[in-house]
Amino acid sequence: MKESADRVARFVDDLLHGRRPRRFEATPEEAEAMTAAAGLAASRVGADLPDKASLDRIHKRLSESLDESPPVDRQLSRRAWLRTAGAAAAAVVVGVALDEVVTRHQESGGGAGTATLLPDTGSWRPVAALTDLPSGHAMPISTASLDAVIINDGGRISAVSGVCTHLGCKLQPDDNNRKLNCPCHQTAFSWSGKVLYYRLKAAPANLPQIPSRVNNGQVELYIV
Amino acid sequence: MTELRVLGDPDPDRPADPEPAIYPNWESVYQDNVIGIYQLVFRKVGNSADAEDLAEEVLMHTLKTLRLPAPVPTVRAYLVKTARTVLADHWRRHYAARDAASELEKMPIEITTNPDAADRAQRLLSLLPDHFRNILELRFLRGYSVREAAGELGVTESNARVLQFRALRKAAELEREVLR
Repeated sequence: MKESADRVARFVDDLLHGRRPRRFEATPEEAEAMTAAAGLAASRVGADLPDKASLDRIHKRLSESLDESPPVDRQLSRRAWLRTAGAAAAAVVVGVALDEVVTRHQESGGGAGTATLLPDTGSWRPVAALTDLPSGHAMPISTASLDAVIINDGGRISAVSGVCTHLGCKLQPDDNNRKLNCPCHQTAFSWSGKVLYYRLKAAPANLPQIPSRVNNGQVELYIV
Repeated sequence: MTELRVLGDPDPDRPADPEPAIYPNWESVYQDNVIGIYQLVFRKVGNSADAEDLAEEVLMHTLKTLRLPAPVPTVRAYLVKTARTVLADHWRRHYAARDAASELEKMPIEITTNPDAADRAQRLLSLLPDHFRNILELRFLRGYSVREAAGELGVTESNARVLQFRALRKAAELEREVLR
């Protein structure tokens, strides 16, 4: 009993210190206690939320294994994307992971990449106070020229078109799942505007990006 | 005369539902499920290093096996099935825990965020006898070390470890028989 208690205590210590537990051959009784310990450790508030670095590593390894395009194409895609988007858009993608930039151009079936809306006679216009857009929230806004959704993803502000690319229904943010849902048909977009899923004959296009920035505490969009 | 229609009945004027929603590519499967899968496996391993590896394994296996585009329910069902297998294999491979692995293979699990995990743990703890509940609360909820918990409970460190072991086994039993 003492040896089992010691081994399980060491396992619990590893869990509570955020370490990967050491491996050993457990008796059935020890394993039973360890599974209960894992459940209790996971029930601490916020413990089961992955950090961004973890998600980035998973995404990178999936991307390396599943994307068949050679690396040179990815570099070209990135340059082409930046060239298309122009200087204003380039400024707003500072901080966007390379993988995300690359995949915008590579997506197949999900609407062939993402366009950036750069109006010919646009200017930076405030659309909301930053204090009204806390981290982890997406907010629909309407201006005279367009409907958009502005997003605060852990302090990174971005904006996408607020209407579904299928038939133009206004998108509804679902903050818990970091999605924008189309209320008309079962279609959803990620906060970056990518199609997550759709219930249509053909995949709708991804949502256009709208250049955004924060200026004097205001979220501003580059629009007409 | 107005025809009565029971709420929840299909609207006769509405065209039949088209096919279920579709995931167009691996990115969309990843974006829509990575957090749910991570949380699902985290609840069974209790640490982020293993949860990251296993979540990746579940997604990788699913995405290499399924042909996309594919319906959302099909993909999600396959993710859950794969998660169950991957978790069972983890406990078998690293801890030789055959019973725990078989248990995992039978256990109903689903991809959901788990806002009530803390409530569920509290409920589990409330079902335990006082001496078991005390040691687990000190360790898991208040972050006490074995030494600190032993001091608080007035027992030796060795006895605190034994108490913790017995309390965890009792918690597992309750989880299996009462809460499921």
